[in-house]
Amino acid sequence: MRRGLFVYTEDHYTIRRIYMDFYKKWFWPLLTPAIILFLLVILFPFIVGVLNSFLAWRGTYYFDPDTGVRAQSVFSSFVGFENYRNAFQDQRFVRALIYTVQYTLVAVVVVNFVGLGLALLVTKVNRGAGLFRTVFFLPNMLGGLALGFIWQFIFQIVFTNILFSPEGLLHIPFLRYMTQNSTKALFALVILNAWQFGGYMMIIYIAGLGNISRDYYEAASIDGASPMRTFRSITVPMLMPSFTVVFFLTLSNSFKLLDQNVALTDGEFNTRLLAMQILRTVRDTTPPDYGKAQAQAVIFFLLVAVITLTQVYVTKKRELEL
Amino acid sequence: MKEGDQSVNHKFSVDSGFSENPEYTQREEYGMKKNLVVLLVILVTVSATLFAGGAAEADKGYDIYIYNSKGENAAQFADMAKAYEAETGVRVKTFSIGSGQDHMETLRAEMNSSSKPSIFSIQGVKELIEWYQGGFVVDLNTVSYQSFKDFASGISPSLRLTNDGKNSFGVPYNVEGYGFIVDRQMVADLFGSNKVDAFIEDTKAASYAEWEALVKALDSYIKRNTAATVTLNGNRYALAANKTGLAQKLNGVFAVMGAEKWTYGDHFINVPLNAVFDGPNAAAEATEAQIDSLRGPLMAYAKALDLKTSYLAGMNGAARRSQDFVSSANFGYDQAVQIFADSKAVFFKQGNWAYGNIANVNPQQAARLDFIPVKMPFQAADVTLPGMSVEKLNSSIPVFVPNYYAINSMVSDKEQQLAMDFLIWLNTSETGKKYVIEDFNFIPYNADPATTELPNSLGNSILDYIKSGNIIAAPYHGAPATWSGDVVGLRLMEQYLTKANWTAQDHQAIVDYAIQSWKDLN
Repeated sequence: MRRGLFVYTEDHYTIRRIYMDFYKKWFWPLLTPAIILFLLVILFPFIVGVLNSFLAWRGTYYFDPDTGVRAQSVFSSFVGFENYRNAFQDQRFVRALIYTVQYTLVAVVVVNFVGLGLALLVTKVNRGAGLFRTVFFLPNMLGGLALGFIWQFIFQIVFTNILFSPEGLLHIPFLRYMTQNSTKALFALVILNAWQFGGYMMIIYIAGLGNISRDYYEAASIDGASPMRTFRSITVPMLMPSFTVVFFLTLSNSFKLLDQNVALTDGEFNTRLLAMQILRTVRDTTPPDYGKAQAQAVIFFLLVAVITLTQVYVTKKRELEL
Repeated sequence: MKEGDQSVNHKFSVDSGFSENPEYTQREEYGMKKNLVVLLVILVTVSATLFAGGAAEADKGYDIYIYNSKGENAAQFADMAKAYEAETGVRVKTFSIGSGQDHMETLRAEMNSSSKPSIFSIQGVKELIEWYQGGFVVDLNTVSYQSFKDFASGISPSLRLTNDGKNSFGVPYNVEGYGFIVDRQMVADLFGSNKVDAFIEDTKAASYAEWEALVKALDSYIKRNTAATVTLNGNRYALAANKTGLAQKLNGVFAVMGAEKWTYGDHFINVPLNAVFDGPNAAAEATEAQIDSLRGPLMAYAKALDLKTSYLAGMNGAARRSQDFVSSANFGYDQAVQIFADSKAVFFKQGNWAYGNIANVNPQQAARLDFIPVKMPFQAADVTLPGMSVEKLNSSIPVFVPNYYAINSMVSDKEQQLAMDFLIWLNTSETGKKYVIEDFNFIPYNADPATTELPNSLGNSILDYIKSGNIIAAPYHGAPATWSGDVVGLRLMEQYLTKANWTAQDHQAIVDYAIQSWKDLN
C-alpha cells in the first residue's frame, strides 16, 4: 500500500491546467460572499466591541457617569481604561483566568493522549476499523450543552451512586461528587472533553499517520529499531504538522470552553471558566456592566491570540522541512 | 528502495512547485474585468437583502407588541392576545420567553432592534434601574391619557413599582406569595379529620418554639412511630396512634430543593429582612447601621434553616444534608415537587406558582393545599421596623408583585396609547380578567379578597392572608443584585447544605458572611 506518492504525468498537468483556469476565473466571485460575511459578522462587531470596552456601555444604552442616566452622546460615556482596571480588580475574573489556564494545561495533554492513542489503535486493527472510527467520532456530533447535561447525570448518579460509591463496583472517593468541588470539577470537565474531542483529534492524527511513508518504518525495522524508538524518531517528527493543528485546536477550544461549563456546574463551586465569566459579568451587577464584560472579552481575545500564535510558531518550527 | 527514493523526490518537488509553474502565471490577468462585474452584482444583491428590512417601516405587522417574561403562560398569553384582537381589532404581537431562560438578554436585544416592544416586563426594582437609567420607562403618573391615568392611580401604593416612593413605572402582572405548603388530607390522617381547620389555623398562629416542637414530634412519629401530643397556639393536638392513609407514605418532614439557591437564598432569607425593612426601596437604601441590625434576624434565619434542612424527606427514604442534597439530580425543583406530591413530606416551602407543577403530578392533592407561614426564632429586640412584631412575622406570608407591565417610552405616542388601552382591558374587562384568573392561574393584583374566588387552592389561601392582613413584603428585591441568591445562597449550598451537622459557629459564620457580603456589594 503506497499513499501520497505518485509521479505526475502529462495527463495530470492537463487536468491541473483546467482547474487552474477555473479557479483563476472564479477566484473573486467565490471568495466575496465569505469576505462579506467575515466583515459583517466578525470584523465589524469586533471593532465595535473594542470601542465599547472603553465606554460605560450598559447593553441598551451608554451610561453617563456624570449625570447618572443615559448619555446624550457616546463621547460623554467614555471612561478610558477603567473597564480594564475593573476587570483585573474583579476577583472572579482573576480566579476564572487562573482556573482556565489550569484546565487548559490538563486538557491539552489529556485530549492529545486520547486522540493519538485512539488513532494508533484504530490504524493498527485489521477488522472493524471503520466502525471504531465512527464510534469514537460520534460524541463530537453532540452539542456541548447536551453533552454537559448527559455527563452531569453520569457524574451525579452513575459515578456517585453506582460505580464508585462504598457499595459500588470500586470505592473511589475522588470520582464521587465531581461537580461539587473546583478541583474535581476541573477533571470532570477534562473527562467530558476528552470524550468529546478525542475522536475528532483522532481523525486528524489518522490522516497524519497515513501520510507517513511506510518506507521509513521498513528502513527502521531493517536497522533493528525498537517500536518505541520508531515511534520517537519517525512517527513523532513526521506527525509534527498534525501536532500543530491538534495543539492549536485543543488550546483554543479549552480556552474558549463555554457550553460544557454552563451545563455541568454552571460555575458553582468556583468553576467559572473565562468564557462563562464574561457571559455572567452582565448578571453580576444591575444595571449590567457590558463595558466591563467587553473589556474582559478583549483581554480574553489577546490572551488566546498570543498563546495560540506562539504555539503555532513553536510547533511549526519543529515540523520537518522535506 | 531506488524506486521509492525517486518518488519521494518527485512528490515534494512537484507539489511545492505547483503555483510557481511559469505556464500558469501568464494567465493572471485572464477574465479580470468580467470578475469585477460579477463582484459588483453580488455586492449589490447582498446589500439589497440586508437593507430590505428598512423599507418596510410603514407597517410592522402589529399595532402593539408585548414582551412577556413569564414563560409558564406563553400559550394562554397568545390566546389572550387573539381574544383582544377579536374584540378591538388591534393587532397584538406577543413574545414569551421560555420558562427558566434569561429573559433580560433577549429583552435587551429587542430593545436594541427597530421593532421595540410597546409593553415589556420588569421583575421588581432590581431590574427597574436599568430601564430607568436608559430612559425606557414611562412614569404612569405623568401620562396625559386621562382614562389610563385614572386606572394607574388605582394601583395600591404598596404594590407600585417605584424608586422614590412617588413615581410609578408598572402595572402589576399579579401578586404571589409563599410559605410552607401543607396537604389538608395529610393533616386529617395525622391528627384526625375533624381537626383539620383548627390545626391549620393554630399552626398559622403558633410560635416558633411550638413549630419546632411540632417538627420534632412529626419526625419522631415518622421514623419511630411515637404518637405524641403537640401544643399549637395553646391548643393540644394528638397524633393518631397508628399511621393511616397518606401518613404511611411519609419519610421526612420537609421536601426541600437543595439544588435551588433561590429557595433558601432569595425566598427564605427574605423573611428576616422584613424585621428591618418595609419593602425593596428601604432595602435598596439600607444604611450601614441597618445592615448591622440584621444580625439578630439573620441568626434566627440560620437556625430556622438548620431546622428545615435537618428533617428532610427524600425520593427513597429520609434524607440528610449531604453532597447528594445539593445535586440537581436528587433535590432539584421537579424532584422536590415529586417528593411532596407523593406525600413523602408533610411541608413544602414553595409559592402559589408551584400549584401547576403539583397538579401535574397529583391533581387530587393540588385541590387540598394550604399555606402555613415560615417561622423563625426571632427575639423582640431583632425587630426594628416600626409596626412589625415577632408574632406578625411568624404568622404572615410574603405577598409581593413578581412582575410588572411597563410601557416603553421609545415607541411612538400612538403605540403607547394603544398599549395603555390594552392594559386597562386586561385588568378591568370581563374577558381580560377571565384570562388572568382562569388561564394564567394568577391572583389579580386588584382582586377584592372578600369577593374573589380563584380556581386554585393556593391562590385562595393567599387571598385569605391578604384578607386578614397577615402579609409581609419582599425587601430582598432591593438588596444588592446578587446578594441573596448568587452570593449567600451559593455559599450555603457549597459549604453548609453539604454538611450534616451545624454548630453554633456555623450559624454565626452564615450571619457574618451575609452581613459582610451585603456591605461589600454596596
